[in-house]
Amino acid sequence: MADVGRHPNIELHAYSEVDAVSGYVGNFNVTVRKKARYVDVKECTACGDCEDVCPITAPDEFEIGLSTRKAIYQPFPQAVPSAYVLNIDECLGNNPIACGKCLEVCDKKCIDYDDKDELIHIEVGTVIVCIGMDVYDPTPLDEFGYTRHENVITSMEFERLINSGGPTQGHLIRLTDREQPKTVAFIQCVGSRDANRGNPYCSNFCCMNTVKDCLLIKDHYPDVDIKVFYMDIRAFGKGFEDLFQRSKDAGTIYIRGIPGEVEEDPETKSLKLYVENTTEGTMECHEADMVVLSIGAIPRKDSSTIQQLLTLQRSQDGFFLEAHPKLKPVDAATQGVFFAGCAESPKDIKDSVTQAGAAAARANRLMMQGKVKVEAITSTIIPDLCTSCGICVKVCPYNAISCDTKAKTPATVVEAACAGCGACSAECPFGAITMKHFTDVQIEAQIDAMLEVDAKDKVLAFACNWCSYSGGDLAGTNRFQYPPNTRLIRTMCSGRVDKRFVLRAFARGAPIVLLSGCHFADCHYINAVHWTQRRVEKLWDELEKKGIRPERLQLEWISAAEGQKFATVMRAVEELRQKVTAEEIEHTKKALAGVLEPRKPRAATKKATEQEAAAQEAA
Amino acid sequence: MAEETKFKCLRCMSEFRLPYRHGVTEERTCPNCSSNSVRRVKEDKK
Amino acid sequence: MAEVDGGNGPLRVGVFVCQCGLNIAGTVDCDSVAKFSEGLDDVVVVYNNKYTCSEPGQLEIRKAIEENDLNRVVIASCSPRMHEPTFRAALEAAGLNPYLLEMANLREHCSWVHIGEKDAATGKAKDLVKMAVARARRLEAQEEMVVPITQKAMVVGGGIAGIQAALDLADAGYKVYLIEKEPSIGGIMAQIDKTYPTMDCSI
Repeated sequence: MADVGRHPNIELHAYSEVDAVSGYVGNFNVTVRKKARYVDVKECTACGDCEDVCPITAPDEFEIGLSTRKAIYQPFPQAVPSAYVLNIDECLGNNPIACGKCLEVCDKKCIDYDDKDELIHIEVGTVIVCIGMDVYDPTPLDEFGYTRHENVITSMEFERLINSGGPTQGHLIRLTDREQPKTVAFIQCVGSRDANRGNPYCSNFCCMNTVKDCLLIKDHYPDVDIKVFYMDIRAFGKGFEDLFQRSKDAGTIYIRGIPGEVEEDPETKSLKLYVENTTEGTMECHEADMVVLSIGAIPRKDSSTIQQLLTLQRSQDGFFLEAHPKLKPVDAATQGVFFAGCAESPKDIKDSVTQAGAAAARANRLMMQGKVKVEAITSTIIPDLCTSCGICVKVCPYNAISCDTKAKTPATVVEAACAGCGACSAECPFGAITMKHFTDVQIEAQIDAMLEVDAKDKVLAFACNWCSYSGGDLAGTNRFQYPPNTRLIRTMCSGRVDKRFVLRAFARGAPIVLLSGCHFADCHYINAVHWTQRRVEKLWDELEKKGIRPERLQLEWISAAEGQKFATVMRAVEELRQKVTAEEIEHTKKALAGVLEPRKPRAATKKATEQEAAAQEAA
Repeated sequence: MAEETKFKCLRCMSEFRLPYRHGVTEERTCPNCSSNSVRRVKEDKK
Repeated sequence: MAEVDGGNGPLRVGVFVCQCGLNIAGTVDCDSVAKFSEGLDDVVVVYNNKYTCSEPGQLEIRKAIEENDLNRVVIASCSPRMHEPTFRAALEAAGLNPYLLEMANLREHCSWVHIGEKDAATGKAKDLVKMAVARARRLEAQEEMVVPITQKAMVVGGGIAGIQAALDLADAGYKVYLIEKEPSIGGIMAQIDKTYPTMDCSI
């Protein structure tokens, strides 16, 4: 840790958050909010004089509330940066008449009650997301009595109790009587591996953490009896089985079965654990002076903030989704962004360090080349067709298009800023914007080819590259079966799907069209998916006006992690297809025949409109 | 601010009420079949 | 290497049907798909490989492009999210612009999700190839923009993973901005007493 503070190449911004991110691989512009700390980090020597005089006490977060700290404090002795921080909400010093004691005693005069948040701007080529995890709160699992029985604690609280730097200087005591417990029970998988209550996944480190805790207790207090209640002990890593055996040899008793109830003796405050021992097939009651709940990991509360800032995806469990589970395990789908540690999935220290090394190597590989090729999927304006209406400017999530609507000069695209969603191209009423590699003619050719034969039997689905198409891939790797008459057309973003594509499909005899994109929070193009929804809403109205059942156009949001939903949707859409009659399709084909005619040369239309307007004005 | 208004699911055809704010595009899900093909029913046009 | 072909001139499409061992061929009749592909517009040559992504498979693509003067390539195999970069590189190696490639997803979107429905899956596979050829015929060469990379990195979060990533990159000579929400780095690791498997302290 101290190496980080000392390293000449590392600029540490503690007590800071990422406020905004723009740009793309190799060229991210980041705004960092340095929160007001009210203590000058550079000047503070962590002498502690301020702390001594501070009259306010508050629960110590680092000690999980097992001890107190002052309103001005150092988070823990080895903190980096080695400097104090003032919690201004607790401090009286906002009003110097009320207090101001810490400032008085501070030799360096490095306390500033008027300190303010500061925004700094940095430019970086790569980003590594290591935001870690939160711990599961066992309150909902009321049978363990975490909120009711004082001697039931979490494994995190246990860590502080047995730590020589902790509130008890490492003496293992019960919270009720400060006596050393004679028996300690551990309950495993609290909040893990239960789809109904808590989380369905295994939190990875809790088994070995408990094995370690048992060894620590036995090292210090060989006479303490330890019982571990478990579902399975997962000791799969290098050296893990050895530790597990050592903890057994040291006398730890492992009992297969998770207690159904933990009861407190009102007088002794000791605990009774009722459990079905699934190895013996017996109902048992065990007594313990202290119960430790081995709690699992959950995604960080603020994951969605980082997710949106960097347009990342998350798996169904809420942890960040890697670009490929085997081949790109530390890459995000967003180029130039990598994951390490528990942000990606629960893991122990060794795995976090391994993954961090991998992420650093992947970032290095990109950066050392000095330059990067950006996929040539960007939009281009056809100046002759552009009427300078300015719609594209409003649509673009990246502010990559500019257009002077007053001067009537054609819009222009800053190619480096364009991320290639294609929403502008779909929204342009004049066909004046083409998307490279996803042009109108290319997509229309796919529609036509698909519907040339037996159109009535097929389901046409548009899918966005990052989410719903990937959801389809996941359905494949998981072998989730669905009806074989669906045909997908991939676009980078569902926002690219022009309403003309949908109408063309119907005009070609498609019984049903599905437009699928990402959930709003997952959109790879900030908010381009909003345009998809608005366009579909308009299309429903338009179809209805033309006597076409709007439900023949379906809309679904499917994330890259929702292989199951992808298959379910395909089955549901096929059911709807079967209800579409041949007469209906014929009627639709006639009603929409006009769509198949090539777009009128807009330059001519534009001139005609202008002439018309001029003529009207003259009249 | 958000008033409730009537929506119809274009998959299962059930009707239900959801919060709606004019001009705000939100992700909507049918409470009956979980489809996202949720269309606002314009009540004022009755 | 020869100058990159921008794909102009009369259309000459090559189709490569991949069996992916039995991953595709177990459900899709690849011979039938290959035969069908021969009849599609502007298709001049069709290959039916066991593994198109393998070294011999890629060599065959290069050879086929050179021998048949192909200017559009359709590969009917797995998801483009899997192997598009691989095959784009193969085109480039043969002197063809990588954007003149189109893939048909016969594995994730067909054989793996229609197991036991050989006829229907084969029919779908033909459609997917037909759509891919239709699109490929209209593909245009694209030039990728080369942008400079800022040789600095940001690490968000200063727990054990963030600390390690920041140190590795900093040691490699890059400027690293380490952003930590709390007043100190260390994260959850710092709160843990001893850590397994070494049983030493965490900080």
